[in-house]
This record gives sequence, structure tokens and C-alpha cells, in this order.
Amino acid sequence: MPDFNVRSDSVNVEQIMEQLRARVREKRGVDYTEQQIRELAAVKLEKFLDPRGVRSDLLDQFRNTQPGSRPNYAFEEETLFETHRAPIRWIRRLLRPVLKLLFNPNPLIHALHIQAQLNTMNAERDGLYFEVTHNLVIETTRLGIEVKNLTMRLESLASRLEFNERRARALESVVAYRTAPHGAPVAAAIPAVAAPPPSQPTMGARESQSPPGTAPEGPGQRSRRRRRRRGRRGGAPAVATMGASTSAGPTSPPRSGHIGDEPAEAANGASGELSAAPNNEPTGARGNTAESVGHAIAAEAHPSEPRSEGGLNPPDVDEQ
Amino acid sequence: MKLAVVVQRYGQTVNGGAELHARYIAEHLAKHAEVEVLTTCATDYVTWRNALPPGIEAVNGVPVRRFRVKHERDPHLFARRSDRVFEHRHSLGDELDWVDAEGPNSPALIDHLSARASAYDYCLFFSYRYWVSYYGARAAARRAILVPTAERDAAIGLSMFHPVFRGVRALMYNSHEERAMIEGVSGNQDVPGVVVGIGSDVPKNPQPARFRQKYSIGGPFAIYVGRIDRNKGCTELFEFFQGYVRDAPGRLTLVLIGNSLLPIPENPRIRHLGFLDDADKFDAMAAADLLIMPSYFESLSMVALEAWALGRPVLANGRCDVLKGQCLRSNAGLYYETYGEFLETLRAIEQNRWLSGTLGRNGLRFFRDNYDWPVIERKYLDMLGRLSRDSTPRTMLGLPGPLERRRQNRPPAEEVVAALPTGPSLVRERDDLPLSDGGPGLRARRPS
Repeated sequence: MPDFNVRSDSVNVEQIMEQLRARVREKRGVDYTEQQIRELAAVKLEKFLDPRGVRSDLLDQFRNTQPGSRPNYAFEEETLFETHRAPIRWIRRLLRPVLKLLFNPNPLIHALHIQAQLNTMNAERDGLYFEVTHNLVIETTRLGIEVKNLTMRLESLASRLEFNERRARALESVVAYRTAPHGAPVAAAIPAVAAPPPSQPTMGARESQSPPGTAPEGPGQRSRRRRRRRGRRGGAPAVATMGASTSAGPTSPPRSGHIGDEPAEAANGASGELSAAPNNEPTGARGNTAESVGHAIAAEAHPSEPRSEGGLNPPDVDEQ
Repeated sequence: MKLAVVVQRYGQTVNGGAELHARYIAEHLAKHAEVEVLTTCATDYVTWRNALPPGIEAVNGVPVRRFRVKHERDPHLFARRSDRVFEHRHSLGDELDWVDAEGPNSPALIDHLSARASAYDYCLFFSYRYWVSYYGARAAARRAILVPTAERDAAIGLSMFHPVFRGVRALMYNSHEERAMIEGVSGNQDVPGVVVGIGSDVPKNPQPARFRQKYSIGGPFAIYVGRIDRNKGCTELFEFFQGYVRDAPGRLTLVLIGNSLLPIPENPRIRHLGFLDDADKFDAMAAADLLIMPSYFESLSMVALEAWALGRPVLANGRCDVLKGQCLRSNAGLYYETYGEFLETLRAIEQNRWLSGTLGRNGLRFFRDNYDWPVIERKYLDMLGRLSRDSTPRTMLGLPGPLERRRQNRPPAEEVVAALPTGPSLVRERDDLPLSDGGPGLRARRPS
């Protein structure tokens, strides 16, 4: 993962932000802003309303039926008799009773008034339909993006889980404790690899312990259990994942003098065999093994995290 | 030299951004000139109710002349008129009605300015959007210097303000982004202007330990200072910070300082301390690991400047052009637009002490170079000196007749604002320092 390029005394915020954004993209995929979501939604809406795609005149229909675009009129009681000329208005008012002698204009006025109201309502409803469709598309887009994000998050969690499993197995393989005959727990020996290459860490060695009072298992029993476990895990052995040599041959049962029921493949760096190691193995060797595993874990856990050597952490830190 | 500072409210207890800005400027310019403040009797910006007596009083040694507000603001009417001019095609008359509804209407103040304008060399008007500034700048156009304190909201798109932006003698901007926005909307590039901003009286020796002891706060924390309000981006801040607590193995606590208009989430890692006095506030900022500024709209964030003055890095909302621009120009803060970026930037500042320290040091340098009081005062004095030498006649377009005012030919203000260029300005602060006849001599001096 990218690191900051801020080792000098001057920082460039723009550059740091680019690096951080690259890291965000790597971790979470693309994070859309609200504005981008809206733009995406608008694009989809246009596509959805594309005359070639859906219906030849759907887009035009929607546009034409926007509130205000369709002609309408307000029809009130006085509309028929309105005029901006005051004398004519006066004359009409004067002659209105005469008109009403000839026919009754009230039903006409009433019907037109209702029609005007219906027109207004329809115009509003069309606008509402358009808005609902628009909002639906926005929500669908947002949900699609959310699903994508959740999928990525799930993948991230799955990889974390897998890593934790590997880490637990690796830790088990490095340090083990057993109960001394008089009851006090003592550190068990880190088994030495039969013939490890000089450059390889001895992290593969592992020894487990059987519960007190249980008899040591036979080689065949242990081998069967190992096969079962490998089947359950369905993945590569820990050493392979942790970067140790994978040149191990077919697993062979542990030699005599070995206690515990842990399989050998996780600990078997080179030969796939565990050798009996004395309990009083020098702590230096154990320490080295643990350290190299720690490094491997750290590197895998947070590959983007700064390392103490030449990474993010500068030697001098001023608290303002 | 005699100066008038015209602002909608004024007083020691008035803590609005523009009002505080006006008070600080008046008090600092009073060291160099005779300053009189012209304001209203109101203290509440929602109602403009006359709370103080009219007449003259002294506030921190500066004479303040108060005038009565003619009528209080009707919020329903104001909302209706705002909808009208912001969202629909409208007329100039609608815009004038809008500013009438916004207030504070104080005809007595405008009468005083019209009659006594010649008694002042220059009149500094704060906040372009209020009634007193709009009509005051028109009444004393030949002496008007505008401090717009404009944010990227719909009001800047109203066409009634454009002649004012083009007709005043000079503009004192808060940021490069504000300048670009006003120039974009009004085309007033030929009007003298300078990006000034405002300083802050940050104590030299804050006591972070005292704050931690007083409020029992241990461990690293991020701080937010200001009104806790949805409009300030606090809802998003809460959501993101709770996500940080949930998703990231960080140790930061969020400490909130200010009055809250929102429910604070029930989370042990979010602590609300309420309104604190300045001493506690500065101690808190000095104790904090970083300041978070989640606001979407700012013309200048004084709190961010104070954090930088105290050597603290800032994490700002990248959707606010001004804050983003300041972070980029100062190299003293990071910014976020999405949750992922919030998480990553917060963790970067938290976990990388060197980065945090360097950002803080850059912030301190940025503040000293651009926002220390001697620098601010010098910029004002340079501008006043420049104007006194500049005899170019400048006229402000008068208001059209009644028929023209009724023509429905003004676009919705929101459309105008949406069409304005966005993004931070990458002009460095010091690029703006040489004024008309600048040169090295006019560069802001660093305080010793």
C-alpha cells in the first residue's frame, strides 16, 4: 500500500491527500459523494427516459407535464364578467340580471371552475410522478453502491478473519506451554527443525501438548487427525501462507518423544517433521523465532502501516 | 482619519461571526484612527428586537452609536420571500422585499449616514446581506468599504447586490474563495480589494494540563468548537466519528465545545462540555490533538485560525471551498469529503505524530504570516492609504424605477450560485499582499 511521502520537514497537503485517497480506494473501493450519487442517478434517469430505450415520447411526455408547462386557467365566479375596463365592467354588472333572464350561467361557471381545479391537480400529480420516479432511481443507485460497499466490506472482514486464523495457528506453533510434572506451567521447547536452511526462520517449528493425564497418541492417529483438519481448513498450511518454505515433503508422523496432538505441517519448515527438542532450549532461539513470526504477522496485518525503519515515524516529534 | 464601522449588531456579548469580526477590527483600527461604530439596538439576529437603548455608549473604548430598529423580523414572511427569490424567477422588487424582510430595518441609521457621511473619511460596512449594509453602502457610496463576509449560499446570487459590489470604493475579503465568488457573480474585478481576514487574540501560554484536570479528560482527543448545529455539519461529524469508534482501532475522543441545537449521541467517546469562556476554550484547543471543522459553508473559520495559532492541525470538510483552500495554502490541515477519507485522514493525524507536528508548525507559520493582528492592521491601513491617493471616480448604480422593479427578469438565486465556479483557490496568501503600489515595503511584516 502507498505510504506518505512526508519525510522532509515540509509537507504537501495535496500530495498527502492524494496518497490517502489512493489508500481509501484500495481499501474501500470508490466512495461516492452525495453529489456524485446524484449525478449518477441523473444519468440513469436520462437513460431510463431515453426515447429509444423505453417509449418514443415518454421523456417528452414527462417534460411537457411538468407543473407550469401545461396551460391552465383560473376560473372563478366573476371570470366570465371580468374586464380591465371599468365602464364595461359596470355595464355588465348592470345587465347581469337581464342575462340571467335568458339563461342560467351558474352550472357553466361551476363546471369550468371544477375543471380548472382538476387541471391544477393533474399538473401537480404529474410533477409528483416525475419526482417519485426520480427519487426511486436515486435510491436504487444509492442502494446499488451500498451493496457494492457492503460486499467489499464483507470481503475485507473475510480476509481479516482468515488472517486471524492464520495468526492464531502461527502463534500456537511458536510458543507452547505444558504443565510441569509438579504442576507449575513451564515454557515448552520450541522444536528445532531437522535440517532448516540457514536463511530460513525457524518459525515453522511447533510443539503442542496433550492434556495432562492423556496418553501420547500414536503416529497413525495423529496423521488421520491432521488430514481431517487440513480438509476442514481447505487452505494452504500456515507455513506456506506465512511465507516459509513450501518444499516440505509428504507429512510424516512425528518422531517418538513428541507430545501433543498438533499437526506437524504448520510447524514443519523444511522437512515436514518435528524433531524432539529438549525443554530447556535456549530462550534466544525461542525469542528469534517469535520475533520473526511477529514481523511476518505485522507485515501481513498492516502492510500499509509505517515501519519503524524509515517509515512514517520520524525521529523528532515536537509537541506544539 | 475618522472611520465609521457599520454593522447590524454590536456589543461585547454579541458573538456572531461578522459582528465579532467588526468589533475586533474596530478596536484594532481605533489605535490608528478615530473610529465610531454605527449599529442598531438589536442583540438577537432572529427577531432584531430593540434590546439596548439608542444613543452613544463606549464599548472597550470605542464609541458606539445605536439606532432603533423600525420593526422586528417576521420569520414566516422572511421564509416566504426567501423561497420566492431563491427558487423562482422573480423581480428586483421581490429582492428588495426580501432584504426588507430580513432586516434589521433602521431608517434612522441610514438617515444619519446620509446626513453625516461627510464627517467620516471612510465607512466600513460588515456583511453585505443585511438591510443596514445594503442601504448604508448606497447612502455613503463614495466612502463605502465593504467587508462582505460572504458564504456560498443563495443570497450571493441575488442581483440587487451586484451594483453594491461594483460601486463601493473597496472590498476587504476574508478569503480567496470569497473573492473569486464575488468577482464571479458581480464582475467587480476593477474594484480595489484585498484578502485580509481577521486575527485572533490567542494567549501566548495556554494551559492544556489545567483543562485536562478541570474537565477530567485524559488521552488524546479531537475537538470541535462552535455552535453544534446541523448547518455546521455536526450531524455528519457525529455519524463519521461514531463510525471511527466502531471501525478503527483509534483512541481519540471527540470533545465538543459550544451550545448545542442538536441531540448529542450517547457515546462515551463523545463529550459535550457546553459553552466555555475564552481561557478554557484556548486551553482545550491547546490540549487537543487536532481540531475538526465539519462545516459546509464558511467565509473564514476563526476557530481554524485559532487552532493553527496554537500549533494544532485541522481536519476540515473538503466540501467547503474556503476551508479546503486554507488547508492547501497553509499546508496545515487535511480534509475529507467521504467517510472513508474522514477515517483515513483522522487516523493519519492520530497515528503519525510527525505529520501532526509538521501540520501544526505550518499552521502556526501560516497564522503568523497572514492573520496576526499587525498584519491585518497593516492591510487595512494600506488599503485606506491607497484609497486616499486614488481619485478614480466610482459610482454606484441607483435603484431603477417602479416599473423596472416589477419586471420578472431575475433568475432564481440558487441557479446563479450553482453556476458559479467552485473549488479552492490556490493563490498563496502572500501573493495578495502587495497592494496598488506595493513592493517589498508593503509586505506584511512578521511580528517580532
